[in-house]
Amino acid sequence: MKDKLYKKELFLTVLFFVILLVFGHCAQIFVLFPGLQGGNMWGFPVHYIVPVLMGWFGLLILTIIMALVLNKFDDDMEELAESIEKKNSK
Amino acid sequence: METYEFVLPSMAMGLGVVIVLFAIFYYVGYRSAKMTSSAEDLYAAGYSIGPVTNGLAMAATWASLATFMGVIALIYALKAPFVYLWIQWALSIPLLTLLYGSYLRRMKAFTPASFIKVRYGNEAAIIIIVWMCLAMVMYALGQMIGLGMAFEVLFGIDYNYALIIVGIATVGFITMGGMYGASYNAAFQMVVMTLAIVLPMGAIMKTMGSSGWWFPPLGYGDLVPGMMAAIPDFFDMRYDYRWYFALIPAFTMGPIALPHLAMRIFTSPSVKSARWSVVWFILFLGLLFSGTYTAGFVGNAFRAETGMQIQPADMTIFALNVYYNPAIVAAFVIGGAVAAGLSTIGGNLMAISGLIGADFLGIIRPKMESKQKMTYGYAALGVGGLAAILLAFNPPAFLVTSILWAFGLLATAVAPSILLGVWWKQSNKAAVIVSSLFCGAIYIVISPHVLGNIVVGSGLVAALGMSGAMVTVPLGYASIIILSLLFNKMGITPVDLETKKMVDRIHGWGSDYDEARYNGTIMPIGVVVISAAIFIWGLQPW
Repeated sequence: MKDKLYKKELFLTVLFFVILLVFGHCAQIFVLFPGLQGGNMWGFPVHYIVPVLMGWFGLLILTIIMALVLNKFDDDMEELAESIEKKNSK
Repeated sequence: METYEFVLPSMAMGLGVVIVLFAIFYYVGYRSAKMTSSAEDLYAAGYSIGPVTNGLAMAATWASLATFMGVIALIYALKAPFVYLWIQWALSIPLLTLLYGSYLRRMKAFTPASFIKVRYGNEAAIIIIVWMCLAMVMYALGQMIGLGMAFEVLFGIDYNYALIIVGIATVGFITMGGMYGASYNAAFQMVVMTLAIVLPMGAIMKTMGSSGWWFPPLGYGDLVPGMMAAIPDFFDMRYDYRWYFALIPAFTMGPIALPHLAMRIFTSPSVKSARWSVVWFILFLGLLFSGTYTAGFVGNAFRAETGMQIQPADMTIFALNVYYNPAIVAAFVIGGAVAAGLSTIGGNLMAISGLIGADFLGIIRPKMESKQKMTYGYAALGVGGLAAILLAFNPPAFLVTSILWAFGLLATAVAPSILLGVWWKQSNKAAVIVSSLFCGAIYIVISPHVLGNIVVGSGLVAALGMSGAMVTVPLGYASIIILSLLFNKMGITPVDLETKKMVDRIHGWGSDYDEARYNGTIMPIGVVVISAAIFIWGLQPW
C-alpha cells in the first residue's frame, strides 16, 4: 500500500506537471506543426484562440481535476498515516 | 496619422475615485490590524483565507500595473507571441502548488525561505533570502515608479510629489493590515480591476458595433480583420521554436519561486483549500488577462475607425474610455489601474516582511520572542516600502531592469534548491550554496544589463533573460544534482536523518519513514540529461 501510494504520488505529479506545461504553452504545438495553423474559430486564427482558451478554460478544467484527484490522494495518505500511527502506538 | 492624446476629462472625478478606494483600503487595513495578534496572523493571515478570496487575491497579486498600462504597447510591439508569453503566467500558481506549495503549507512555512532554512540550514537560507529580496525590491520598485508616473500623467502632478503622495499612502495601509489586510484588500482590488477592464470595454465594443460586446474577453473576433489590416503580420508565429520553448525556463520556472505568490498558498486553511484557491485563481486571472487582449484589439479598431493613433500606447485603455464612455467610467478605470499596482506592491512588501522579519531574524536572533519578531516584521514592511519609495526617486539602472529578467534569476538561483529540496533527499546544502551563487552570478554576467560585453543571445531575448535562462536554469538543476552526488560521497555537509524524515513528513507520511523514498538516482540523472540538452541548445547562436 505504501509503495503504491508513493508511486502514485510521483506519477500524478509528473503527469500534471507535463499537462500543465502543454496547456499553458499550447502555442508551441502550432510552431512545431505549422500545418495546424490553417483554420478560424469565432473569427480568430486557431493558432491564436486555441492557446488563449487552453490557457484559461483548459487550465480551469485541469485545475478542477487536479484539486479533486490530489485531494482524494491526500485522503488516502492521511488514512495510511493514521493507521501507521495507531499501529505504532499499540 | 493624427494622434489622440489622453486627457483626464474630470480631475475631480478621477481624484474622487482614487480617494474613495484608498479610504476602503485603509478601512480594511484598520480592521485587519485588529485581527493580527501573532506571527501566524501577520505573515499567513492566521491560515484562514478561503478559496474564493484567496483565488481573487492570488490573481490580484499577479496582475500588476502593466496589465493596464504596459501590456497593450507590448502587444503592438511583439504581436501574437507576446500574448503567448502572457498566457503562460497563469501556470505559476498551479505549478507552485503542485510542485512544492502544498508541501510547504503542510509544514506551516511563512515563505519558501522558511523551508530552505529547515532543509539546508542558515547559510543557504541567507543566500536564498538575498535573491528573493532582490527580486521583490525590483518588483516593488517597478510598481512604485509606475504608480508615480501614472499619477503624474493622470493628474498632472510632478513625479516626485506624486511618488511621495501615492508611496506613503500605499505603504501606510499595507503596513497597517499585514497579511489579513493584504489578502482582503487584494481580493477587493481584483474585483475592481476586473470590472474596470471588462465592463467598460463591453460598452466601447457596443458603440463600435462589435457583435461580441456582451462578452468582451472572447467576443472581439469581428475586430480581427481590422487588426490584420493595420498590422498584417500580427498573428505570425514569427520566431523559431526555441523562442517559444525558452518561455518555459525563463518565465514558467521563475515565477514559481516568487515568494509573494507562494505566501498566498500558505494563507489557506488547508492544503485542500489551497488547491481550490488555484481553480478560482485561474478563472479570475483568465478573465482579466483576456480583457487586456481585448483592449489591444479595440485600441487598434479605434485607430481604423477614427484615423487617430493613441499616444502613448501605454494609455490605450484610459484613452478609449475617455473617448467612448462617460467621465465617471474613465475615472473608475483609473481606479482599476491604481488597484492593480497596489495589489502587487502589497504582495511584494509582505514577502520582504516575511523574509526579513520571520526568516532572517529567525536566523540571527533565533531566541527572539514572538511579539518582538512581529514588531520587526511590521518594521520590515514599512522600511521595505519606504526603501522602494526612496529608490524610485532616482532608481539605480540595474534595479529598473524589467522584472521579467528577474524571473530568470529566480528560476536559476532559487527554484532548483526548493524543488530538489522537496523531491530529492540527497539534495545537499553545500551543493545548493555553490550552485545558487555560481549559477546566479553567471545569469547576471551573461545578461546585457551588467557587463554588456559577455552576453548570451542578443536584443529582446537577452534583455528579458530568455537566452540567459536557457543556459543557467538547466545549469542550476544539473549542478545541484551532480554536486550533491559528489559531496554526499565525499562526506561534505551530508544530509542528516532528521532532514530526510522532514522530507517524508511534508509529503504527508507522518511518522512513517522510508530511506528509499524520494532518494533515487534515476530521475535526477534524467533531469541532468535533459538539462544538458537544453544547456547546449541555449548556447547555440540566437
